[in-house]
Amino acid sequence: MQSKPKVRFRGSEAANGLLMISPTAIYAILLLAAPLGMILVYSFMTDGYLQIIPKFQLCNYFGECHSYKDVNGVLTESQTYKGVWSDPLALTLMWRSLMISMVVTAVTVLLAFPVAYYVSFYVAPSKKSLWLFLITIPFWTSYLIRVFLWKVILGTGGPINFGLLEIGLIQEPITWLLYNVNSVVITLAHAYAPFAILPIFVSLEKIDRSFLEAGRDLGESPFMTFWRVTLPLAMPGVISSVLIVFIPTIGDYVTPSLVGGPEGKMVANLVELNYKKLDNYPLGSALAVSSMALVMAVSLLFLFLNRRFLRGNKR
Amino acid sequence: MKGGWFRGYTIFYLIFLYAPIVLLPIFAFNNATTIAFPLNGFTTIWFSKLWDDPALHQALKNSLIIGCSAAVISTCLGVFASRASSRYAFPFKTPLMGLIMLPLVMPDIILAVALLTVLLGIGMPLSLFTVILGHVLVCTPFSIAILSAAFQSLDQSLEEAAYDLGETPISAFRLVILPLVLPGIISSLLITFTISLDEFIMAFFLAGNENTLPVYIFGQFRFPQNVPVILALGTILVCLSIALLATAEYFRRRGLAKTGGKGTGGFL
Amino acid sequence: MTSETSTAADQTMIEFKDVHKYYGDYHALRGITATIKAGEFFSLLGPSGCGKTTLLRTIAGFEGISSGVVMIDGKDMANVPANVRPTNMVFQSYAIFPHLTVEQNVGFGLRKDPRSAAEKAKAVAEALEMVGLKGYGARAAHALSGGQRQRVALARALILKPKVLLLDEPLSALDKKMREQMQMELIKLQRQVGITFILVTHDQEEALVMSDRIAVMFEGEIVQLADPETLYRRPNSRKVADFIGTMNFLPADILSEVEGKVEVEAKGFGRLTLDAEQVSVAPGSSGASIGFRPETLTILFDGQTATDRESKAEVVEVVYYGDMTYYDIKLEGTTEPMRLSMRNVFGRPVLDIGTQTRVAWSPGALVLFR
Repeated sequence: MQSKPKVRFRGSEAANGLLMISPTAIYAILLLAAPLGMILVYSFMTDGYLQIIPKFQLCNYFGECHSYKDVNGVLTESQTYKGVWSDPLALTLMWRSLMISMVVTAVTVLLAFPVAYYVSFYVAPSKKSLWLFLITIPFWTSYLIRVFLWKVILGTGGPINFGLLEIGLIQEPITWLLYNVNSVVITLAHAYAPFAILPIFVSLEKIDRSFLEAGRDLGESPFMTFWRVTLPLAMPGVISSVLIVFIPTIGDYVTPSLVGGPEGKMVANLVELNYKKLDNYPLGSALAVSSMALVMAVSLLFLFLNRRFLRGNKR
Repeated sequence: MKGGWFRGYTIFYLIFLYAPIVLLPIFAFNNATTIAFPLNGFTTIWFSKLWDDPALHQALKNSLIIGCSAAVISTCLGVFASRASSRYAFPFKTPLMGLIMLPLVMPDIILAVALLTVLLGIGMPLSLFTVILGHVLVCTPFSIAILSAAFQSLDQSLEEAAYDLGETPISAFRLVILPLVLPGIISSLLITFTISLDEFIMAFFLAGNENTLPVYIFGQFRFPQNVPVILALGTILVCLSIALLATAEYFRRRGLAKTGGKGTGGFL
Repeated sequence: MTSETSTAADQTMIEFKDVHKYYGDYHALRGITATIKAGEFFSLLGPSGCGKTTLLRTIAGFEGISSGVVMIDGKDMANVPANVRPTNMVFQSYAIFPHLTVEQNVGFGLRKDPRSAAEKAKAVAEALEMVGLKGYGARAAHALSGGQRQRVALARALILKPKVLLLDEPLSALDKKMREQMQMELIKLQRQVGITFILVTHDQEEALVMSDRIAVMFEGEIVQLADPETLYRRPNSRKVADFIGTMNFLPADILSEVEGKVEVEAKGFGRLTLDAEQVSVAPGSSGASIGFRPETLTILFDGQTATDRESKAEVVEVVYYGDMTYYDIKLEGTTEPMRLSMRNVFGRPVLDIGTQTRVAWSPGALVLFR
């Protein structure tokens, strides 16, 4: 008697797994994948007043576009505007956002590495959780208020200027700390610090300590052991730190709004302007799509340049 | 001393991390409207002013409604996803999990405008409900990160042992799996609630005419005379967040200890 | 305590009929046909990946089978889920529920039992006593040692009086001393309760010590199913011989074969005739060879004579183990060293490398692989 494979309590594993994940997956598809697809579509549409005209065009990206207005039931051209890649303002903001993101990423990851290294290599195993907890706490506490306090810290009446004035190092408060790119970089580096520390910490934790002893045993100095053994093994963590800081920072809105001043505005401010104030969804979408494409391109390039560290890292 | 330089550097780094949080109560109790040094004496007036601002109370109420709903929904979604990913192999697992975890790295503003576009496209009016939809999207990856640790440290033979001893899949889940991941679930609820309470961008775009606490706070920054009150509010919020996080961390560690997992991943 | 089933000596408890199991393209079980008798201590022995654990899990109901039949106590298990099968399992990791006490773990399977709470508590206490954990009931499960977890797992499975107890490498996580102690305890326990025990192990010594019968598995197939002594003395292939204990192989030529009796010639042993039962069925790939265990050859000291046959040999390596000495010897006319073991006796010298000596052997202890 030949019996077919029976559905036991596990059923078919693939079916059970898909069934189990379906609520979350459907949610993500409907409210994440579909909307992201939607702004991609919108970025090729035409702007009407309080509506979107489903007419395909590329001018939201390149060249000049027209907004339309409903005048007594007839669509009439109302305003002209430049596409993202033809608009000097949009280009400036995208370029500046990219630069700020890169600097923030470099600063954050470089500053974070020794901290992750200290917690992983020098802190007793029983205390590691406590240190990580201490590092993550500021990250979870009111982002808006933290950014505002950076404005205070860097401002003319803040502790830095106050301190420097008191000890007589300066006669006038320094003003170049606030309302420019510097303040944006400092504030963002602060906000994303735990994001940078944790992945590096995790990859340092995975390093078998006997490798390091082997490095020393084979006659390398502590520094060379770090350079030739520890760092390459920690690279996967460094790479995820870079990406996890770089990608979200480019779209940060609060920091440039509060501490950026006119010189420190970023692309998110323009996206917000187009969506909330100007009500030009196609241009806003094109801007969002463009900046994400830029981020992806830079990230992929970065991954490509570091591919040798990621090879054989499949679990 | 072991790691002396690193230790000094790390402590310095922690000071950098905590600088804003330390300044917060200093100015919240400072008797001056301008947020600047030198300080002008102690006062609790900013805290008492919190009581007579109806707009703030409404924003707080909205934030609590959104926070509780987002915490419950995202934790439920997190349970499904982390159980599926730690227990089963199934087609499209990597792309599906990648999509679900995407909000972790996506700039919030992109998620917000994308959602806004779709919601307006299907004609759904902006309200607290639409903010909840957005917050669930942002909170679910964090919930999964916490719960995956709890589910992965479960030995699969525990479940099989329960079947073997006569339990059905449902009763085995209730009697064995659920008690073991419960600390993780509580931890996830607390963390996602904290995230939702603090989330600004989604609420800024999706709340329509309603206010949440962060949207209210952001609005108040435009009026310098209101800032000390906001700092008083911030002090309370920071204390609340730290209390919630400490509780969450306690439950997370207890859960891992129960199932024999290691406790050094942090929240991410 | 009596088992619900009558454990008459030769009654069949489990029957596999041509069981196949595929994981995608991977053929994990390749036509398993075997019977396990009621009340037997049965072992599935093989290297990792041979399918022994999969086969055990098809009995428990954790794995479905692709084709064939698994019967337990005369019933086809095709549509019977794990939770209603008359089997219980001791898991490799023990799977002690970490959030429950020892008592709650042991009584876990009694939840739907109609007996009163007092009776259940009594049954739990009895089960704990049986495994030597009297008084441990209130302890938290995560505070137990490896050996104690093992005992809790046993008590938890046995309290349900299953027809078959399945043990998945239960001793592999214990240290050597503890393992040997538990082996003895398991044998005693099995005799006491009379339940069919099926043990999965990769440790040949463990299987030999504990089992009534052993199925040796390689690559999804049972290659030999026999009692420990037969398995050790008459392995039916070089592979089985290699896996269980140490065996020497000496190249041989088959001269003739008459009515099952085989006449062979091997350098060092000369010409001899072997009975049919000494000849392996499974053909090997590298030509015929004679196999013998290290203890079947004995070094003859001055004045000793062989009771059966003897050969000349040279000692090429000596390894002293305290109670035993292992010698590598070259039989006269051969090039490959053969391993030989001698129990050390007070007053008898350990030979040096290079010593010319004589060894005694008996044709009955040899096996022919072809």
